[in-house]
Amino acid sequence: MGSTAYISLKDVVFSRSGRRIFDGITLDIPRGKITAIMGPSGTGKTTLLRLIGGQLRPDTGSVQVDGHEVPRLKRKALYALREKMGMLFQSGALFTDLSVFENVAFPLRVHTKLPEDMIHDIVLMKLEAVGLRGARHLMPSELSGGMTRRVALARSIALDPELIMYDEPFAGQDPIAMGVLVKLIRDLNSSMGLTSVLVSHDVPESLSICHYACIIADGKVIGEGTPEELKAHPSDQVQQFLQGQPDGPVPFHYPADDASRDFGLGGA
Amino acid sequence: MLDRIASLGRLGLDIVASLGRSGRFLGGVLAGVPRPVSGFPLLVKQIYAVGVLSLAIVVVSGLFIGMVLGLQGYTILSDYGSESAIGQMIALTLVRELGPVVTALLFAGRAGSALTAEIGLMKATEQLSSMEMMGVDPLRRVIAPRLWAGFIAMPILAVIFSVVGIWGGMLVGVEWLGVFEGSFWGNMQSSVDFLDDVMNGVIKSVVFGFVCAWIAVFQGYDCVPTSAGISSATTKTVVYSSLAVLGLDFVLTAVMFGDF
Repeated sequence: MGSTAYISLKDVVFSRSGRRIFDGITLDIPRGKITAIMGPSGTGKTTLLRLIGGQLRPDTGSVQVDGHEVPRLKRKALYALREKMGMLFQSGALFTDLSVFENVAFPLRVHTKLPEDMIHDIVLMKLEAVGLRGARHLMPSELSGGMTRRVALARSIALDPELIMYDEPFAGQDPIAMGVLVKLIRDLNSSMGLTSVLVSHDVPESLSICHYACIIADGKVIGEGTPEELKAHPSDQVQQFLQGQPDGPVPFHYPADDASRDFGLGGA
Repeated sequence: MLDRIASLGRLGLDIVASLGRSGRFLGGVLAGVPRPVSGFPLLVKQIYAVGVLSLAIVVVSGLFIGMVLGLQGYTILSDYGSESAIGQMIALTLVRELGPVVTALLFAGRAGSALTAEIGLMKATEQLSSMEMMGVDPLRRVIAPRLWAGFIAMPILAVIFSVVGIWGGMLVGVEWLGVFEGSFWGNMQSSVDFLDDVMNGVIKSVVFGFVCAWIAVFQGYDCVPTSAGISSATTKTVVYSSLAVLGLDFVLTAVMFGDF
């Protein structure tokens, strides 16, 4: 991929509370494409997004975004880089004291000096793109889960970013909301020329829209490639994850002592 | 035995680490250059939330504490036939001590806990993270206005508390128990000094306001973002603020009035 990579992680090691979350992960995310990062719960997929966004720093290794070494950026440069990034949080993370309109207008008001009527038009365009122009007067508490994520999506594209990161966009959504989000992610990517990073464990939805996918487990990339390549991947662990088998390389049982001893059976 | 020493050491390290974090946090909040145009409306909103909305509890408490002071003062002073000194007793007690201290305790319970819970919930729902990812520093956008609002509102609330308290004392002493009005106000005027009493009380409330607001916003920002974490942070806000206020009050009183 080389020069077309928008994000490039190299030998990233990251530990938290004494637990090693990434153990030398190396990953390239191509420019202008949708890349899905999948993996079982608790493998640090969200942590990966926070490393890319500079909210966390790796212990060792390099995290480059658009040629900038993120962990070494000074505060001001980091905040400037973040203006080119949008992030959709799992919970939506709308500001609960602001209306839908004001939530989407927030980044515009903070980062630009646009006149009010122009902000009004941009906000309505972004809300129209996610199909919620009519909901602009509502407060976040009046929205359903799917609508919350769509508003958050409109907010994260308000400044026309180059990169957008989706943190579990499909988790806990009904089939219609999921379909809407799949369509939005695909459409936004093609119409705005965004680089999209999609973190998810919803295999069919993710594979249906991504150009490129990688699977993380145990702090490492265990498989990567196009969706077709992944489906034909020889690794048992990759196949267990993709097909959702309850037992396999990742055991069903949490490591435990010998059962006969726990149940008080057998001689001692 | 060794375990106990180790846990004591761990506790000590935790306390020092937490103090360090709160110091760095305060530095981060205060380091930002204030932006008068965009920052002012945020500040006004927070002064309303922590100051104006605390008015009711402060006024009612001030009134009752003043009335109780009037009753108790009259009972005690009339034994010595000096019930006319009730005015100065009420005014000095309120202005020097009860005004700043009780207002700070009420402030910690009413506004401090609300600040902690609000910021903690913003952290738990990733609002602070999303702000960071939008290139907006939450320390300046969310924390700074709340800290300054506490700092500004607290002395004003303490002054209101004292004024209402004195009025409450007057209601009981003069209107009800029949102390001569002229001596009530006259004694008060001649014995309460503006710089020594009123200003020292205001200085106390400025210090308490700063400490209470700092503890409240730090506990919210530093909390574990779960429901149990927010609940424990809110409790800590009230407990630490109250202890800090009472401890600092002793120190400040010793410095201000302790000419031995």
